[in-house]
Amino acid sequence: MSYTLRGRIETRLAASLPALALALALHRWWAVELVALMLVVGVLLDTCVYHRALAYQPAWAALPLGALELALVYGLMRALEIAAPLGWALALYGSAWLSAQLCAHALFPRLRLEYAQSGGELGAAGAATAAAVALAVAGGLGADYAVRPPTVHLHGTVRGPLVIRHAETLTGGVVLGGIRVRANGVRIEHVTVVGGDDAIDVEHAQHVVIDDVRLIHFRYDGIRVLDAGVMIHDCSVSAPRTALATGVLIAYSMGRPMSMVDGCTIVGTREGISTHSSMVDVTDNHVVGTTARAISLSEMSMDSASGNRVEGAKGIGIVCMDHSVCEIHHNTIAGAEADGVDDPSRAGVAIESYFYAQARVSHNTVIASPGGVRALDESVITR
Amino acid sequence: MRCAIVGSGLAALAAHATLRHAGVPAEEIAVFGTHEDPTDVWRVRAASIRQQRMRSESDGHLAPAAFPGLAVREAARRRMVRPLLETAASRYHPTVGDFLAHAGRVAERCGWAASFRRARVARVAAVEGGFELDGEGPFAHVLVATGHPGLYRPREYPHAVHAYEPHEYAARVAVVGAGMAAATEWLNALAAGSEVVSIRRREPVRRPLNVPRPLFTKRGLPAFHRLPPERRASFLRAIDQPSYPPGRAWDDPLERAMAEGRFSGSDPGQTPSREVQVICATGFLRGWQHDMLLSAIVRDHDLPTHGRWIVLDADGSVPALTDARRTLALAGVAAQWAFPAADTIAGAKYVARAFARRVCRTR
Repeated sequence: MSYTLRGRIETRLAASLPALALALALHRWWAVELVALMLVVGVLLDTCVYHRALAYQPAWAALPLGALELALVYGLMRALEIAAPLGWALALYGSAWLSAQLCAHALFPRLRLEYAQSGGELGAAGAATAAAVALAVAGGLGADYAVRPPTVHLHGTVRGPLVIRHAETLTGGVVLGGIRVRANGVRIEHVTVVGGDDAIDVEHAQHVVIDDVRLIHFRYDGIRVLDAGVMIHDCSVSAPRTALATGVLIAYSMGRPMSMVDGCTIVGTREGISTHSSMVDVTDNHVVGTTARAISLSEMSMDSASGNRVEGAKGIGIVCMDHSVCEIHHNTIAGAEADGVDDPSRAGVAIESYFYAQARVSHNTVIASPGGVRALDESVITR
Repeated sequence: MRCAIVGSGLAALAAHATLRHAGVPAEEIAVFGTHEDPTDVWRVRAASIRQQRMRSESDGHLAPAAFPGLAVREAARRRMVRPLLETAASRYHPTVGDFLAHAGRVAERCGWAASFRRARVARVAAVEGGFELDGEGPFAHVLVATGHPGLYRPREYPHAVHAYEPHEYAARVAVVGAGMAAATEWLNALAAGSEVVSIRRREPVRRPLNVPRPLFTKRGLPAFHRLPPERRASFLRAIDQPSYPPGRAWDDPLERAMAEGRFSGSDPGQTPSREVQVICATGFLRGWQHDMLLSAIVRDHDLPTHGRWIVLDADGSVPALTDARRTLALAGVAAQWAFPAADTIAGAKYVARAFARRVCRTR
């Protein structure tokens, strides 16, 4: 069809009605944001590219143009950090694309005789529909923005412990004495925490994000997570005040959404990352100089550890233990040392499955670790 | 009776079906024509040039709504996805048989027979409340859809057969012209085993449809409508050049025949010898001057014209004889001043929709 610019935009907006209805039915802000993003990308392309480049647009062009728009929407979705699950996002985009095709090739030509000769313009009803869609999307985005949790900017040093009981974003600054999270939807980013029993303590909460934090001089755990679902990115944990400290501890969170520890650097703790009865992805972390276990996946956990670098662990590098089920792959374990006791499970073992645990192990690199990879005490390692 | 359609061909059927779709009862529409079957004239011409497929695409049908088009109908009927893929690539061209069968169903559904009156209208007179057609009426809204005024046969070939007249092929054939009909005749004659000489003044343009696609829609039409009369006439003359679609279905047989020495070109200055059959694929007489009814309308009402075109509004209506209460509009080739591809199905529907809008506005 030879679209006019107005025809392109009216058709696009009116044809997005089913996708918008689906997004609203999903009751998720990301869905509204995604539809808005699709429309913004589409209208910009209509205005700046398609109208000039395509005097006539054959039906088959919907495929490459749809792929182009998908790539742009996906890239912008990542850049704008729209937290859309990929599968759902693709399904929403696919349904929007399909409904656009059905509208442009069947519904609109059926309902409006002049649709094609008008270059895709929909007349008064079309303009009203397009305006309503634009208004609905703008309203949705406005509501989304209005109900977003507030952002608290910390400046300088704040004496803690801070207790967070409502959804909010806490950013910047230094907190002395620790932070306690007791609410869903909390985000802590770019914060340094000094001291406290636990530097950051999360209990009975989910959708908590801890990003780019630096934790030092805590007594027990750098990050302690109990019955909670957290995403921990790019943390730095070091210099604990006691020899019994753990870098990141996630415990008894099986009933919560899956957690993730990703890109953290942990130095000089007793255990680096430790899970108990939880589901956790432990990915791309750097754990150095632990005195008991670098990464411990234990107590009926269902975890995976991949892409981690473990250096100089005393006793054990990575262990899957106590009825846990683990995937351990693409890790590098270097210089695991025997800790001196006459215990084969602590003889500088790089990867260990222990006490009825089941570990699937593949593509790991083990360097200078005398205990190698081993299964002990009724446990299983499969490769 | 509120509406009258003068003419009983494809453009008239498109107008009738569109009026019916807009809710005008068949009893309020009078169709004056000489052929009860609106496909009669076109069917004979298509059969004469042995046309198998339409130049138009899936939406080149006479039903008021574009969807479902002929590709969708064929896909459903034959349970094949191929027509849909072809139409997605703008390569679907319905068969003449499918087009005619569908036109027959449209005529049946819209109650064409109830509106049809066998009569040739010679005069349209503007009167109080509308127009009288040979003294009958008045009709508030009249659409003149008399079609092409006749076949054009160049003076140099007075005894030649016209492509749109039934004919067979001799052993040596000269085809005059370079448009779609001429190209069809080249292939027909070659398929019949003839040796073919193409006589043409200029090389044909290769394009899918009669005119560039934007001129079928609002994308290209407003600029056309803004042209001052002289430039608009020049533009119409410029696009009125012989053309036929690109594609191997046309090129391959011609290339093979050229390699075998059975197809060649010639300029119009050369007179074919007596034993050569000359076929004029030269289309139709052009201009309102060749149409008795249009000539009478122009003369009786002193309508403005420009060359071979009657000056029309963008919707195909005659401005001097159209106001809020009455409409005189032209359809078919006579509406070129409003729609450059007026002699196509898209053109017929363009005028029909505008006409229906005017009729409905005054109900």
